[in-house]
Amino acid sequence: MTTESLTTTPKSAARVAPSVLVGIGAFAAVGIYVLVSSLGLGLWTSLGPGPGLFPFAMGGVLVAMALVWLIQELRRPSETAEGVDRGLVVAVVVSLAILASVMDLLGFQLSTFLFLMYHLKLRGRRTWVTSLIIALTGSVGAFYAFNYGLNVALPVSAFPLLNTIGL
Amino acid sequence: MAGVALLIPLTLNMDATGAIIMLCAIFYGTAYGGTITSVLLNTPGEAASAITTIDGYAMTKIGKAGAALTIAAVGSFVGGTIATVGLVAAAKPLGELGLLVGPPEFFALMVVGISLLVALAGKSMVKAVISGALGLLISMVGIDPVAGAPRFTFGVDRLLDGVSFVAVIVGVFGLSELLSYRKGAAAPAVHAPNFRSLLPTGKEWRRSAPAMARGTGIGFGLGLIPGMTGSVSSLLAYGAEKKFSRHRNELGKGAIEGVAGPETANNSHANAALIPLFTLGIPASPTIAVLMGAFLQQGLTPGPTLFTENSEIAWAIIASLFIGNLILLLLNVPLVGLWTSILRVPTTILTALILLFMVIGAYTINFTVFDVFVMIGFGLLGLALRHLDIPLAPMVLTLVLGPLMERSLRESLEISQGDFGIFVNRPISAVLIGLGLLIIFSPLLKLRKPKALNEDPET
Repeated sequence: MTTESLTTTPKSAARVAPSVLVGIGAFAAVGIYVLVSSLGLGLWTSLGPGPGLFPFAMGGVLVAMALVWLIQELRRPSETAEGVDRGLVVAVVVSLAILASVMDLLGFQLSTFLFLMYHLKLRGRRTWVTSLIIALTGSVGAFYAFNYGLNVALPVSAFPLLNTIGL
Repeated sequence: MAGVALLIPLTLNMDATGAIIMLCAIFYGTAYGGTITSVLLNTPGEAASAITTIDGYAMTKIGKAGAALTIAAVGSFVGGTIATVGLVAAAKPLGELGLLVGPPEFFALMVVGISLLVALAGKSMVKAVISGALGLLISMVGIDPVAGAPRFTFGVDRLLDGVSFVAVIVGVFGLSELLSYRKGAAAPAVHAPNFRSLLPTGKEWRRSAPAMARGTGIGFGLGLIPGMTGSVSSLLAYGAEKKFSRHRNELGKGAIEGVAGPETANNSHANAALIPLFTLGIPASPTIAVLMGAFLQQGLTPGPTLFTENSEIAWAIIASLFIGNLILLLLNVPLVGLWTSILRVPTTILTALILLFMVIGAYTINFTVFDVFVMIGFGLLGLALRHLDIPLAPMVLTLVLGPLMERSLRESLEISQGDFGIFVNRPISAVLIGLGLLIIFSPLLKLRKPKALNEDPET
């Protein structure tokens, strides 16, 4: 009996992709959070509409749309999008986060030099000469171009030792 | 769009006029540059040039790339210049009209713009609305403009001033695009046409003229309507050539009309789209919204008051549009070989340099690494939205319009003492609200939208 019921299920009944479900859930959750917290902000004051009115409406829209989307997906699941290159995403995001974390400590020049060398030499497999030229231009060169050309100050190192040698 | 956003930081220390002129030039300059890759590589540089690939690349295959590029540049120049003349003519009357626009009308006008963008946004209206709502919510982070209460700051002091607009745009558009690259796309071989082949024949000029005229008209008309993107104009211009051109049966096989029409239309559109921004303070498309963000950052409010309070800036910008279009014409045609050589730079080097530029851009907004983290976060959000097939355009528009919409809504309700009837009692706003509802509910009424609009690659 069980095998029969399995075989009778139509093959076309594709499942909703997990990433889509996560997405719908996230939008609904954000919507509910906004609805609740905008109530706390006050929808209406004696002077008229309060600070919570507009967010409340948007939260409602978000929850409603998430529900409609869920119904649409259950009726006819959309084709799953192509996957992303996870290695690339992790490498770029982590390297950017590290760069942002150390930029104030090491200064713009040293931190972006290391960042560029990582992307050019380690990930990009460029030659040493190409990598060094581009990384130096992008770090030291950009620092001076922005400082003196555009009058925009990029950060210098917080360490006195590095600071005194101009980094 | 990311181009304008990326370069906003470069202009922060310029004076307002110089900064806006530079960003405007980038904005309409992309309408020229996007053509080059469309014609030579079959890959559109900008969404508005996507349709040009059909006949442009076909012309490359039969050895007429030079003529196609020259005609495209001349068409862009013609379209852009005529639209700028239109801006000069419309500035005064529309500006006066703009002064009659009160908060309820302003709110209603923005509702129309957002409805159009949502209704035209490709396959799923639900996803477009989600995108729009997200943009509005992001714009609300920070101190509420009326009552002064902090909203959605999660106790982070840095968020009291709101999320930095530039960091969000650079993250959602620039970074997320880099993150969604896939392996295997090797740099294509490009052959720049030599100088002599750049000159079109007399016959090609004669065939292009009517196509340029049609393209100018279509681009100008659609550029004025909020919610229309440049790609709609170029798609419709191509459609018009298919219907009205004397050589319509050659389209698709390398007909010059297929390049002249759309390329003229998207430039005419780009310049005409500045008219609602300058005269009414309404950004007609997401890219214009980014431009408007730059205006606001410089302490300028685009709209009817721009011509009265900052008239020298307004007219300097308009004058720059004429000069800019001419410079682009001179730069594009003879130097096409130089531009194509950029395409030969390996992707890894380009990626590293673009990442560097995004970090500098995000950092220099407020001189804090906090904005770099904001950019990274929104890059991941953008990647997720792309993966879920949610259009990004409505989000950008509402991100800029959010504070203005909320202010005009609340001002309206304060005028009416809380009565929502104010939006339907005043004739102009009643008509506009009705129009907005009609646009949103048109799929239910089974009003057919032109097929070209479903293919808008920008949304």
